[in-house]
Amino acid sequence: MADRRAFLASAGGIAAAALLARRARAFGEDGAFEPKVLLAGGVSGPARASAPARWSAEVEKRTSSPARRQPRALKATDPALLDGPFAYWSGTGGLTALSAAEIAGLRQFVSLGGLLVVDDADPDSGQFGRDARRELARVLPDAAPVPIPQEHVVYRTFYLLKPARPWGRRLGKPTADAIIRAGQLRVIFLEHDLGGALARNALGTWEMSVEPDGDVQRERAIRWAVNLALYALTTNYKDDAVHAPFLLKRRATAP
Amino acid sequence: MQPAAQTVARGVESIRTSLVPAEGMSTSLVVAAVVVALAGLVLLVIELRRAREAPRMLVVSTGVLAALTLVLAVMRPHKLRAREINVAPRVVVLVDRSRSMALSSTADPEGRPRIDVAQEVVEKLRKGPFGRVDVFALGATSGVREHAGGGTPLSRADGAASDVASAIRALGDRHDDPPAAIIVVSDGRIEVGDVAERKIGPTLHAVAVGEASPPDAAIRAVRFAGTAVAHQALPLQIEVACTGGLPCGDLTVTVRELRERDPEGKPSSDVLVTGTATIKDGSALIELPVTLERAGTRALEISVGAPKGDAIPENDRRLLSIDVARERVRVLHIAGRPTYDVRALRTWLKSDAAIDVVSFFILRTPGDEVNAPDDELALIPFPVRELFTEHLHTFDAVLFQDFDAEPYGLTPHLPAIAQYVKKGGGLVHVGGPNAFSAGGYAASPLASVTPVEMPRLESSQQAADSLAFVPNATAVAKGAPILAELESILGDELPEFQGTSLLGDVRGGGIALWTHPKRTTATGRPMPVLAIGDVGDGRSIALGLDSTRVLAFSQFAAKSGGRAYDALWRGLLGWLMRDPRYEPVRGRLVHASGTGPCLAGAPAALRVEASPVVGAARLRASIGPLEAPRAKDGESLPKELDEKIDGAPPILVPLAKETITGVAPDGGFALRMSIGEPDDQTLVPAALATRALSTCERGGDEWADPRPDRGKLETIAKVNGGVVVSPGDLGSIPAPKAAVVSIERNLAPILPGWAWAAIAAVALGVHWFVRRRGGLA
Repeated sequence: MADRRAFLASAGGIAAAALLARRARAFGEDGAFEPKVLLAGGVSGPARASAPARWSAEVEKRTSSPARRQPRALKATDPALLDGPFAYWSGTGGLTALSAAEIAGLRQFVSLGGLLVVDDADPDSGQFGRDARRELARVLPDAAPVPIPQEHVVYRTFYLLKPARPWGRRLGKPTADAIIRAGQLRVIFLEHDLGGALARNALGTWEMSVEPDGDVQRERAIRWAVNLALYALTTNYKDDAVHAPFLLKRRATAP
Repeated sequence: MQPAAQTVARGVESIRTSLVPAEGMSTSLVVAAVVVALAGLVLLVIELRRAREAPRMLVVSTGVLAALTLVLAVMRPHKLRAREINVAPRVVVLVDRSRSMALSSTADPEGRPRIDVAQEVVEKLRKGPFGRVDVFALGATSGVREHAGGGTPLSRADGAASDVASAIRALGDRHDDPPAAIIVVSDGRIEVGDVAERKIGPTLHAVAVGEASPPDAAIRAVRFAGTAVAHQALPLQIEVACTGGLPCGDLTVTVRELRERDPEGKPSSDVLVTGTATIKDGSALIELPVTLERAGTRALEISVGAPKGDAIPENDRRLLSIDVARERVRVLHIAGRPTYDVRALRTWLKSDAAIDVVSFFILRTPGDEVNAPDDELALIPFPVRELFTEHLHTFDAVLFQDFDAEPYGLTPHLPAIAQYVKKGGGLVHVGGPNAFSAGGYAASPLASVTPVEMPRLESSQQAADSLAFVPNATAVAKGAPILAELESILGDELPEFQGTSLLGDVRGGGIALWTHPKRTTATGRPMPVLAIGDVGDGRSIALGLDSTRVLAFSQFAAKSGGRAYDALWRGLLGWLMRDPRYEPVRGRLVHASGTGPCLAGAPAALRVEASPVVGAARLRASIGPLEAPRAKDGESLPKELDEKIDGAPPILVPLAKETITGVAPDGGFALRMSIGEPDDQTLVPAALATRALSTCERGGDEWADPRPDRGKLETIAKVNGGVVVSPGDLGSIPAPKAAVVSIERNLAPILPGWAWAAIAAVALGVHWFVRRRGGLA
């Protein structure tokens, strides 16, 4: 459909207009990406405190999407959890059993179409991940996690992840599991400490080292985080047929 | 209708005398008496054959006499004197008043119109040997109507079709005195139905009017199989014919779509396809595929370039109202940046199998630091030129969601988008920090197809209001089909939305559905945040909000399980696509009789076929031609209607007014209708305007083939025991037999009842005496 000339012409226009870039913040902020921190099962905060804000910052820096710089931490019973369809649940240790109110809150979040990312910040022990699966099985008893296939759109919502797999502070297993409803990812289970790769202190220093591939792996983890955010914002947009020829060509030329 | 006394007086009177049984005597009783008497006689004969010595003759004669008097005693005969009259048979003349009867009755284009010849035939039949003659007009689509003699040929031959079968049935329904014969006066261009297959009752004769037709080229028929579906080629089979000796070779056939005039008032049309018809043996059949891009009712003109000498130019073109269905709604969804509101709208669009959505989201701006080469990005260039020059017409609707026109090269294409909407496309402009005035649309061509004004902003002015608010639903929004489903879920409650783009007053007939509770426009009116409007052939929606997602995902949405979002957008898109479920009013132009299509040169009416109000209501409508007027003298339709109507649809609203004849000109018309409360339109729950297209043809099917068809008349006459004659040979029609009507009846007994009984007793006594004397028991 498009040719190079069209793109260049379009890009020229974009460059000129970039000077006038006007990202309104108040009106329009309401629909911005926000990795709300889920407080449930005894979790009192994100495993990596600076990770959610960094996640927002990377999304805002790298994409056209607005994002909330200071994501909120909300209990599963807090009605404000429904302010946006994305939540981030991370931890390192075991979880207490979810209360009935927490189960009801999370069930409502997912049934309305929300996306919950579960990030095990201690993949070596895997305790948080296991407990989260156990508790979410009580929230969604009719749905079991399945591996996300490599061809899934979440691996190309913004970046073409090569290889197509989840990334984080730890390399971990090459797949992630998810609970899928109506063709959409509803809960994604990560076992790679994504928050650990994103965490950065106020001075701009990365808080944790990334293993085994250092900065290259960290960059991949950031791209993975951006892709997760864009999946929350555009769902399966990159599955549209109009994108297929471009993406096939790029995959074919990939090293 | 003639009075009965007058017609009866035209019969021949006579007196008849006869013997009849006593009044009230049942036939079965008389028969029983005769049977008993005969049985007695039979027994007597058997008895006499055994008794050889008895005086046989005497016994038999007295026995017969006794049996006879016994029967007479039972019957008690009376003398009947009746005065009778032979009434002339009732003959019904059905005069064809369909539009073909306005054509010349001869090969000369200036020859006498067939309707004039028919009128002369009627006068002769009235004066002829048939006695009682009732004349009715045949030429409504169904049934009969009173025959009228005055006016121009076009005004008298004003029926859209002539259905003989339904006319004959209607005669039976409206008259107790069945006709002895029916005489159809017609050119034979009639619908015969089962009258051509079986005898329908009275004898049916026909007078064939019209000897020949003038030289003529015509679109004889336009056919298509199946349903017209938007974006899909529909093969039109077009039959072209040349008659009356008109020399024809290759003729050009053109199919155009007639569209509503643009806002400047210029007629608008597109040639869809042309082809060449090669006439052989007087006709040609060609197939031309047409692709209609817009669903709903569409008006097509199919025309043929006739050669010189064509006597009936009106049948060189046919107008076709065609309902174009939509297999899938093809929507172009363009968003300036990904947000949760974009997610909600895309999720909804993708969830509906009837919607084919093509999305383009701006995921990256030049200022973004992606930290990756292009080949590691899943991004594609925004194909703005291809989309808006090559593919725009393939979409049913375009949704701009918080999209800035300038940076992405859209500005040069805004005129094309405006034209697309005027030609029937749908446009939804959704708010956001970069929408409406902030997106550079305020002074653009897109502003002309948006149902609200877009304020022109000074550099220091804000383009949006960021404060949360709950919109007010306007009076017209309450109960309107477009929001009815949402209202059924939420009632009067609307959620709080986070800010809105700043919009101006509604424009160009637009209607505000939701307004801001505090903000006003420059004119002091409440600022619309949701407005809809018709633009040319298309429709447009302005939604200042960028947070309708709260109907899908929020604490508020949880109360309805997110169904409110689905209800809102289904209503908006359904209205945009003219889904009948979201049209408050449906109507079309028809023949004033209400039984046939609108015919140019004949009185027309607006037939309201669906209304949001049952009972007393106020109808407001505008009627605008789709093309330059082709009106003849005396043909005019009102441009505006403001009528009180009552009842349930269908409702027929005549179009004749004080200075307006209500007689339709030839052409296609755009109707815009709204129906509301009788006294105050602003209080109407569903006073949204509905637009429809309607066509009125001068000749229509009736002139498609102008040749008289005597053969058809002969067929129905033969099946129904009649004859077909020419206007000059009316004497050949056999007169039906007269009917006898008794007008006086005098009944008198020959003897009193007791006398018959006494005679019978004496006769039985004599018989008994003779038997005893003859030795019988």
